[in-house]
Amino acid sequence: MPTYRSFLIFTVLFALALSVFPFEACAADAEEAALAIERAEGIMFSCYQVVLETESAGEEVSVLLARLNEAGVLLAQARVSYGVGDFNGAARFADLCYETGVEVRHEAYDLRHLAVEEATQRFRWTLIGSIVGVTIIVCASFVSWLTFKRYYYRRILAMKPEVVSGES
Amino acid sequence: MNLEEYRTVFAVTSLLLTLIVAAPIIRMLIPIPTQTEQFSELWILGPDHTARDHPFNVRVNETHRIFVGVGNHMGYPAYYMVLVKFRNRTQPLPDSLSSMPSPLPPIYEFRAFISDGATWEAPLNFAFLEVSRLGDSFLVRQMSINDVVFSVNCTSDWDSEISGFYYQLFLELYLYDTLLHEFRYENRFVGIWLNATT
Repeated sequence: MPTYRSFLIFTVLFALALSVFPFEACAADAEEAALAIERAEGIMFSCYQVVLETESAGEEVSVLLARLNEAGVLLAQARVSYGVGDFNGAARFADLCYETGVEVRHEAYDLRHLAVEEATQRFRWTLIGSIVGVTIIVCASFVSWLTFKRYYYRRILAMKPEVVSGES
Repeated sequence: MNLEEYRTVFAVTSLLLTLIVAAPIIRMLIPIPTQTEQFSELWILGPDHTARDHPFNVRVNETHRIFVGVGNHMGYPAYYMVLVKFRNRTQPLPDSLSSMPSPLPPIYEFRAFISDGATWEAPLNFAFLEVSRLGDSFLVRQMSINDVVFSVNCTSDWDSEISGFYYQLFLELYLYDTLLHEFRYENRFVGIWLNATT
């Protein structure tokens, strides 16, 4: 009888454990998947921000956008998988998206750095060119004006008064 | 012309030449705003990439293909999200007047990064997998979109005016707002009507 009772207790405990553990595992999976998706969303937003800054600095970003689209497909798959309860799939897709996002962000940072350097150089040379050009024009105009004025006075002084016949 | 007039001609010519030479640096320092209208496009094309032959009569386990497209005319590379929703004739659509999306939950989504002036397209394959008909009522229990199975449990009553059980598969367009740091509904949606048959 005690054997039977202990067997019964063990069975009940085992059944309880079976009903509780899978639920907890599932809940943990859901939580992990949600966190992975949130992390992937975060990296996508930050990547997009860097890509926008790179584009504003005048760099071509179509390659980065193509890579971001790949990551976007993975993120959408992660969210869809999460929606249908496939938490493992969701976490896997989200992690892949995150990895792609990290790579893209790294490339975007490099490109932005390059773009900013190029833009600074371009600005510097344009500024120097403009200053030199304006100085040349101002000096040339001044010299031309002096030359012209001298020529003008010489021409005026060389003129002789004209006597018109029939005037009193 | 007297000397004063010659002086004016010289001054104006010099000023014009100075402006021409300094134009690149002026343009860099004072950016000229572009006055173009900013907007986004959203469309659905039929299976042969045209605006016709959209699926209409849908039988159970019959897969149909449409194409979802988005066009970016925002003046910068944009990050879009397209949500796919499913409804019967009585469930709410997005409200265009208040720019509010439909409160129905999405069943599928797309993400796309699109350069300014460019377009993006993706296939959307769908099928009704589990349906049942009870008199004047039709129930779509499960459907698949791009090979992912969803429980939709959407009922439609027989419409005697148009003779059918009508459902709508519609798409809403969202744009990522860099100031708000979240997706904002772009007040754009498109959909196709489906007549469910057993």
